[in-house]
Amino acid sequence: MENLNWLFYAYGIGIGLLFVYIFQVSRREQVLRRRISGLQAIVEEHWKK
Amino acid sequence: MSTQSATESPAVPLWLGGTAALAMIVHLYLVFMWVSTESTMGIIQRIFYFHVPAAMTAFVACFVGGVASILYLATRNHKWDDLSVAANETVVVFEAINIAMGSIWGRRVWGIWWTWDAKLTSAFLLFFLYVAYLLVRRATPVEARATVCAVICILGMLDVPLIYMSNRIFRTQHPSPVIGGGKGSGLAPDMLFTLMFGMCAMLLVWGCVVRLRRRVAQLERAADDLVRRTNEMVDQGI
Repeated sequence: MENLNWLFYAYGIGIGLLFVYIFQVSRREQVLRRRISGLQAIVEEHWKK
Repeated sequence: MSTQSATESPAVPLWLGGTAALAMIVHLYLVFMWVSTESTMGIIQRIFYFHVPAAMTAFVACFVGGVASILYLATRNHKWDDLSVAANETVVVFEAINIAMGSIWGRRVWGIWWTWDAKLTSAFLLFFLYVAYLLVRRATPVEARATVCAVICILGMLDVPLIYMSNRIFRTQHPSPVIGGGKGSGLAPDMLFTLMFGMCAMLLVWGCVVRLRRRVAQLERAADDLVRRTNEMVDQGI
Protein backbone atom coordinates (compact mmCIF):
# COMPACT_ATOMS: atom_id res chain seq x y z
CA MET A 1 0.00 0.00 0.00
CA GLU A 2 2.85 2.34 0.87
CA ASN A 3 4.48 1.58 -2.48
CA LEU A 4 1.23 2.53 -4.22
CA ASN A 5 1.37 5.94 -2.53
CA TRP A 6 4.95 6.43 -3.74
CA LEU A 7 3.88 5.41 -7.24
CA PHE A 8 1.14 8.05 -7.19
CA TYR A 9 3.62 10.69 -5.91
CA ALA A 10 6.03 9.82 -8.72
CA TYR A 11 3.38 10.00 -11.45
CA GLY A 12 1.93 13.14 -9.86
CA ILE A 13 5.33 14.83 -10.03
CA GLY A 14 5.99 13.61 -13.59
CA ILE A 15 2.65 14.64 -15.03
CA GLY A 16 2.57 17.77 -12.86
CA LEU A 17 5.91 18.98 -14.24
CA LEU A 18 4.66 18.42 -17.77
CA PHE A 19 1.42 20.34 -17.13
CA VAL A 20 3.19 23.22 -15.38
CA TYR A 21 5.52 23.58 -18.35
CA ILE A 22 2.67 23.48 -20.91
CA PHE A 23 0.70 26.01 -18.84
CA GLN A 24 3.71 28.30 -18.55
CA VAL A 25 4.43 28.17 -22.31
CA SER A 26 0.75 28.85 -23.13
CA ARG A 27 0.78 31.83 -20.78
CA ARG A 28 3.95 33.16 -22.38
CA GLU A 29 2.23 32.90 -25.79
CA GLN A 30 -0.77 34.93 -24.56
CA VAL A 31 1.46 37.60 -23.00
CA LEU A 32 3.49 37.89 -26.22
CA ARG A 33 0.35 38.17 -28.35
CA ARG A 34 -0.92 41.02 -26.15
CA ARG A 35 2.49 42.73 -26.26
CA ILE A 36 2.64 42.45 -30.06
CA SER A 37 -0.83 43.91 -30.57
CA GLY A 38 0.10 46.78 -28.21
CA LEU A 39 3.27 47.48 -30.14
CA GLN A 40 1.45 47.29 -33.47
CA ALA A 41 -1.07 49.82 -32.23
CA ILE A 42 1.78 52.20 -31.31
CA VAL A 43 3.40 51.79 -34.75
CA GLU A 44 0.09 52.35 -36.59
CA GLU A 45 -0.69 55.43 -34.49
CA HIS A 46 2.71 56.89 -35.33
CA TRP A 47 2.13 56.32 -39.04
CA LYS A 48 -1.33 57.97 -38.90
CA LYS A 49 0.26 61.10 -37.42
CA MET B 1 4.58 40.65 -41.31
CA SER B 2 5.12 37.11 -42.57
CA THR B 3 5.89 35.94 -39.00
CA GLN B 4 2.59 37.32 -37.82
CA SER B 5 0.56 35.52 -40.49
CA ALA B 6 2.49 32.33 -39.75
CA THR B 7 1.61 32.61 -36.05
CA GLU B 8 -2.14 33.06 -36.55
CA SER B 9 -2.96 29.37 -37.13
CA PRO B 10 -3.08 27.16 -34.01
CA ALA B 11 0.37 26.02 -32.87
CA VAL B 12 -0.89 22.50 -32.17
CA PRO B 13 -3.53 21.10 -34.55
CA LEU B 14 -6.56 19.66 -32.76
CA TRP B 15 -5.97 16.18 -34.14
CA LEU B 16 -2.39 16.12 -32.80
CA GLY B 17 -3.28 17.50 -29.38
CA GLY B 18 -6.26 15.13 -29.13
CA THR B 19 -4.23 12.09 -30.16
CA ALA B 20 -1.45 12.96 -27.69
CA ALA B 21 -3.93 13.44 -24.81
CA LEU B 22 -5.75 10.21 -25.66
CA ALA B 23 -2.48 8.28 -25.95
CA MET B 24 -1.37 9.57 -22.55
CA ILE B 25 -4.69 8.54 -20.94
CA VAL B 26 -4.46 5.06 -22.49
CA HIS B 27 -0.85 4.83 -21.32
CA LEU B 28 -1.86 5.65 -17.73
CA TYR B 29 -4.61 3.04 -17.95
CA LEU B 30 -2.06 0.44 -19.12
CA VAL B 31 0.34 1.36 -16.30
CA PHE B 32 -2.15 1.40 -13.44
CA MET B 33 -4.74 -1.16 -14.54
CA TRP B 34 -3.41 -3.49 -17.20
CA VAL B 35 0.28 -4.38 -17.01
CA SER B 36 1.33 -7.21 -14.69
CA THR B 37 3.22 -6.42 -11.50
CA GLU B 38 6.94 -7.17 -11.46
CA SER B 39 7.71 -9.97 -8.98
CA THR B 40 10.82 -8.59 -7.21
CA MET B 41 10.11 -4.88 -6.79
CA GLY B 42 6.34 -4.99 -6.82
CA ILE B 43 4.14 -2.10 -7.82
CA ILE B 44 6.86 0.58 -7.49
CA GLN B 45 8.49 -0.85 -10.65
CA ARG B 46 5.67 0.79 -12.63
CA ILE B 47 7.56 4.09 -12.35
CA PHE B 48 9.71 2.60 -15.11
CA TYR B 49 6.91 3.12 -17.71
CA PHE B 50 7.12 6.90 -17.36
CA HIS B 51 10.76 7.26 -16.27
CA VAL B 52 12.24 5.52 -19.34
CA PRO B 53 9.98 7.20 -21.98
CA ALA B 54 10.85 10.59 -20.40
CA ALA B 55 14.57 9.81 -20.79
CA MET B 56 14.12 8.61 -24.39
CA THR B 57 12.12 11.73 -25.24
CA ALA B 58 14.88 13.91 -23.75
CA PHE B 59 17.40 12.07 -25.94
CA VAL B 60 15.28 12.65 -29.07
CA ALA B 61 14.91 16.32 -28.10
CA CYS B 62 18.72 16.58 -27.71
CA PHE B 63 19.30 15.32 -31.23
CA VAL B 64 16.54 17.42 -32.79
CA GLY B 65 17.77 20.54 -30.94
CA GLY B 66 21.40 19.84 -31.80
CA VAL B 67 20.76 19.23 -35.50
CA ALA B 68 18.55 22.35 -35.64
CA SER B 69 21.34 24.42 -34.00
CA ILE B 70 23.87 23.20 -36.56
CA LEU B 71 21.43 23.88 -39.42
CA TYR B 72 20.90 27.39 -38.07
CA LEU B 73 24.65 27.99 -38.03
CA ALA B 74 24.88 26.76 -41.61
CA THR B 75 21.86 28.57 -43.09
CA ARG B 76 21.11 31.44 -40.63
CA ASN B 77 17.45 30.66 -41.19
CA HIS B 78 15.49 31.62 -38.06
CA LYS B 79 13.13 28.66 -38.34
CA TRP B 80 16.00 26.39 -37.24
CA ASP B 81 16.81 28.62 -34.29
CA ASP B 82 13.15 28.53 -33.21
CA LEU B 83 13.12 24.73 -33.44
CA SER B 84 16.44 24.50 -31.62
CA VAL B 85 15.35 26.55 -28.62
CA ALA B 86 12.02 24.72 -28.48
CA ALA B 87 13.61 21.26 -28.52
CA ASN B 88 16.43 22.17 -26.14
CA GLU B 89 14.09 23.66 -23.56
CA THR B 90 12.09 20.42 -23.55
CA VAL B 91 15.30 18.48 -22.77
CA VAL B 92 15.34 20.23 -19.37
CA VAL B 93 11.68 19.39 -18.72
CA PHE B 94 11.86 15.71 -19.70
CA GLU B 95 15.22 15.20 -17.99
CA ALA B 96 13.77 16.74 -14.82
CA ILE B 97 10.84 14.30 -15.00
CA ASN B 98 13.24 11.42 -15.61
CA ILE B 99 15.53 12.34 -12.70
CA ALA B 100 12.68 13.12 -10.26
CA MET B 101 10.86 9.85 -10.94
CA GLY B 102 14.08 7.84 -10.88
CA SER B 103 14.95 9.41 -7.57
CA ILE B 104 11.61 8.40 -6.04
CA TRP B 105 12.09 4.87 -7.33
CA GLY B 106 15.62 4.85 -5.83
CA ARG B 107 14.30 5.96 -2.43
CA ARG B 108 11.91 3.00 -2.29
CA VAL B 109 14.14 0.34 -3.82
CA TRP B 110 17.68 1.35 -2.79
CA GLY B 111 16.73 3.34 0.30
CA ILE B 112 18.52 6.45 -1.02
CA TRP B 113 17.38 9.38 -3.14
CA TRP B 114 20.58 9.68 -5.13
CA THR B 115 23.98 8.13 -5.80
CA TRP B 116 26.79 9.42 -8.01
CA ASP B 117 27.08 6.40 -10.29
CA ALA B 118 27.91 6.73 -14.00
CA LYS B 119 24.32 6.58 -15.28
CA LEU B 120 22.86 9.06 -12.82
CA THR B 121 25.81 11.44 -13.02
CA SER B 122 25.79 11.56 -16.82
CA ALA B 123 22.00 12.16 -16.79
CA PHE B 124 22.48 14.94 -14.22
CA LEU B 125 25.21 16.44 -16.43
CA LEU B 126 22.83 16.46 -19.40
CA PHE B 127 20.20 18.27 -17.32
CA PHE B 128 22.70 20.92 -16.22
CA LEU B 129 24.14 21.33 -19.73
CA TYR B 130 20.70 22.31 -20.99
CA VAL B 131 19.99 24.54 -18.01
CA ALA B 132 23.30 26.24 -18.92
CA TYR B 133 22.10 26.44 -22.53
CA LEU B 134 18.99 28.34 -21.48
CA LEU B 135 20.97 30.69 -19.22
CA VAL B 136 23.62 31.34 -21.88
CA ARG B 137 20.93 31.97 -24.45
CA ARG B 138 19.46 34.71 -22.30
CA ALA B 139 22.79 36.26 -21.37
CA THR B 140 24.61 36.20 -24.73
CA PRO B 141 24.18 38.92 -27.38
CA VAL B 142 22.13 37.78 -30.40
CA GLU B 143 25.14 37.67 -32.78
CA ALA B 144 27.20 35.30 -30.61
CA ARG B 145 24.24 33.32 -29.29
CA ALA B 146 23.93 30.77 -32.11
CA THR B 147 27.59 29.73 -32.00
CA VAL B 148 27.77 29.39 -28.20
CA CYS B 149 24.46 27.51 -28.07
CA ALA B 150 25.49 25.15 -30.89
CA VAL B 151 28.63 24.20 -28.93
CA ILE B 152 26.55 23.39 -25.84
CA CYS B 153 24.13 21.35 -28.00
CA ILE B 154 26.99 19.33 -29.48
CA LEU B 155 28.26 18.57 -25.95
CA GLY B 156 24.72 17.53 -25.02
CA MET B 157 24.47 15.23 -28.02
CA LEU B 158 27.80 13.63 -27.06
CA ASP B 159 26.49 13.01 -23.53
CA VAL B 160 23.45 11.07 -24.80
CA PRO B 161 25.33 7.93 -25.96
CA LEU B 162 27.34 8.08 -22.72
CA ILE B 163 24.14 7.99 -20.66
CA TYR B 164 22.70 5.20 -22.78
CA MET B 165 25.86 3.08 -22.63
CA SER B 166 26.97 3.87 -19.07
CA ASN B 167 25.27 0.86 -17.45
CA ARG B 168 26.69 -1.35 -20.18
CA ILE B 169 30.27 -0.05 -19.90
CA PHE B 170 30.58 0.65 -16.16
CA ARG B 171 29.40 -1.17 -13.07
CA THR B 172 26.55 0.99 -11.88
CA GLN B 173 24.02 0.88 -9.10
CA HIS B 174 21.41 1.70 -11.74
CA PRO B 175 19.69 -1.49 -12.96
CA SER B 176 21.17 -3.27 -15.98
CA PRO B 177 19.55 -2.59 -19.36
CA VAL B 178 16.38 -4.60 -19.93
CA ILE B 179 16.30 -4.09 -23.69
CA GLY B 180 19.35 -5.17 -25.67
CA GLY B 181 21.19 -5.94 -22.46
CA GLY B 182 22.39 -9.39 -23.54
CA LYS B 183 21.73 -12.73 -21.80
CA GLY B 184 19.17 -12.66 -19.00
CA SER B 185 17.76 -9.28 -20.01
CA GLY B 186 14.34 -8.70 -21.52
CA LEU B 187 10.79 -7.82 -20.57
CA ALA B 188 7.54 -9.78 -20.45
CA PRO B 189 5.43 -9.04 -23.58
CA ASP B 190 2.84 -6.97 -21.68
CA MET B 191 5.58 -4.92 -20.00
CA LEU B 192 7.35 -4.35 -23.31
CA PHE B 193 4.08 -3.27 -24.94
CA THR B 194 3.34 -0.82 -22.11
CA LEU B 195 6.86 0.62 -22.36
CA MET B 196 6.69 1.02 -26.14
CA PHE B 197 3.22 2.53 -25.96
CA GLY B 198 4.50 4.92 -23.30
CA MET B 199 7.36 5.99 -25.55
CA CYS B 200 4.97 6.71 -28.44
CA ALA B 201 2.58 8.62 -26.16
CA MET B 202 5.42 10.66 -24.67
CA LEU B 203 6.81 11.47 -28.12
CA LEU B 204 3.36 12.65 -29.23
CA VAL B 205 3.12 14.91 -26.18
CA TRP B 206 6.64 16.14 -26.87
CA GLY B 207 5.66 16.93 -30.47
CA CYS B 208 2.81 19.14 -29.19
CA VAL B 209 5.00 20.86 -26.61
CA VAL B 210 7.74 21.59 -29.15
CA ARG B 211 5.25 23.06 -31.61
CA LEU B 212 3.82 25.27 -28.86
CA ARG B 213 7.27 26.41 -27.70
CA ARG B 214 8.38 27.04 -31.29
CA ARG B 215 5.37 29.32 -31.72
CA VAL B 216 6.45 31.25 -28.62
CA ALA B 217 9.95 31.60 -30.12
CA GLN B 218 8.42 33.02 -33.32
CA LEU B 219 6.33 35.48 -31.32
CA GLU B 220 9.37 36.53 -29.25
CA ARG B 221 11.21 37.33 -32.47
CA ALA B 222 8.23 39.25 -33.87
CA ALA B 223 7.98 41.26 -30.62
CA ASP B 224 11.73 42.06 -30.66
CA ASP B 225 11.36 43.18 -34.29
CA LEU B 226 8.49 45.51 -33.40
CA VAL B 227 10.39 46.97 -30.44
CA ARG B 228 13.37 47.66 -32.71
CA ARG B 229 11.16 49.31 -35.33
CA THR B 230 9.39 51.42 -32.69
CA ASN B 231 12.74 52.54 -31.26
CA GLU B 232 13.99 53.43 -34.76
CA MET B 233 10.86 55.52 -35.36
CA VAL B 234 11.32 57.33 -32.07
CA ASP B 235 15.02 57.97 -32.87
CA GLN B 236 14.15 59.35 -36.31
CA GLY B 237 11.44 61.52 -34.76
CA ILE B 238 8.68 60.07 -36.95
